[in-house]
Amino acid sequence: MLVDARLGTDARLRVGDRLVVSATPGGAGDTVVIAGFESRAADPSEVARSEYRVRLHLDQLQSVTGYGDRVDRFAVKVRDTSVTRAAVDAINAAAFGFRAHRSREIAVETSQTFLVVSRFHRAIGIITIVASAIFLLCIMLLKVDERRRDVAALRLLGISSRTITKSVVVEAALVASLGSVAGAALGAVASAFVNWHYRAVYRTPLAFSILTPRTVAMSVALSLVLGIGAGWLAARRLARTAPLTLFGR
Amino acid sequence: MNALTIAPGAPVLEAQSLRREYRMGDERVVAVQDVSLSIAAGEYAAIVGPSGCGKSTLLNLLGVIDRPTTGSVRIAGRQVESLSDAEATRFRLLHVGFVFQRFYLMPALSALENVELPMSEAGMARAERRARASELLGYVGLGKRERHRPSRLSGGEQQRVAVARALANRPSLLLADEPTGELDARTGTEMIALLERLSADGTTIVVVTHDEKLARATRRVVHMLDGRVERDEPVR
Repeated sequence: MLVDARLGTDARLRVGDRLVVSATPGGAGDTVVIAGFESRAADPSEVARSEYRVRLHLDQLQSVTGYGDRVDRFAVKVRDTSVTRAAVDAINAAAFGFRAHRSREIAVETSQTFLVVSRFHRAIGIITIVASAIFLLCIMLLKVDERRRDVAALRLLGISSRTITKSVVVEAALVASLGSVAGAALGAVASAFVNWHYRAVYRTPLAFSILTPRTVAMSVALSLVLGIGAGWLAARRLARTAPLTLFGR
Repeated sequence: MNALTIAPGAPVLEAQSLRREYRMGDERVVAVQDVSLSIAAGEYAAIVGPSGCGKSTLLNLLGVIDRPTTGSVRIAGRQVESLSDAEATRFRLLHVGFVFQRFYLMPALSALENVELPMSEAGMARAERRARASELLGYVGLGKRERHRPSRLSGGEQQRVAVARALANRPSLLLADEPTGELDARTGTEMIALLERLSADGTTIVVVTHDEKLARATRRVVHMLDGRVERDEPVR
């Protein structure tokens, strides 16, 4: 018998141990030997299931459950995947009362909930990015506005609006670059922590959080565009104001 | 760098019948009226008067920061009252040096970089502007502190950096608005001495001040009252 690795840990079982398996608790059963332990696959539909699984030889399973030859579901594995469709059609034509599906179709069907959750997460992500953009713009405007007297002094010294705008934009780009690098590093650490925590909680190899190069590239690009845009707007606003007005005169 | 040249003793600055009016709601305020002034090359003059008499407004008009409602300003032979904003900015960069009461040094830059800033904007080569900035900081007595940022300099030292910055592009005219206003008595005296040294070396200087000690150190005092020049007299 193969035993769920979680059960092995919880019940402190070892390969070679003998167990009695029965269809009902305390009922008559068969004595089996543990041949090995089986870890769960990275399947989102399995993650919340707390029951243990064991694998028996089919005849022994039939004997223990008392089902005889009756089965509800079974899987057929084909050696050549190009014939899968033909195999499905052949089973559906031959076995009355059965309905065969491709494993991919079942996976798509059972993943609908996760697709909805995934879209929900994307919506939250977009709202967060929009809110961050507004927040960044406000912070940039405030930070540049704090330097209105310095900007006024520079203008009086003869520094052109273009130079002032350029220096603020370069500074904003630098801040945005450093911020996005720090953000990506923080995201990688947070992602690793989330995976470590939930893999331990659910005892699954499933990745709960994935940080891809595309995600990092998109966030860095977005941060640069937002940072530079916000810096340019803020600088332009100050550079267009008369120096004496900036001095409050 | 500085394309305008002035013959010794010729006027660097000539203001004719200056008037500056502001609108405050429905009311029209006359800050400066009927002011004519001529400042010769190498002259050291102070504009004094009570608060609100129009002396800072006059300095802004003389420094091409503000435009007169009527009248004209000529600096180093060039008519400046009708320059566009961009032209006025460029003119100030190359021909007018400013020293403010509150220094306004860039906090992220060192003393040397602050002095280099106007020269960089004027397009001077890096090595040349670095050498000149270093020379100017040496002139104002900060040769050993050129790598320091403003936060690590005293008020007096910051004002001396501001003076060096104002001289960077060899301006025809140095304007100072209350240069001792933020300084204590000792550093104020040092600043007065520095301005006297600058004047002795040929720099044309106009200061606006409440500081009697500074006014007495100049060669000429222009007294203002209610927007007009009340008295214009040499210092004995």
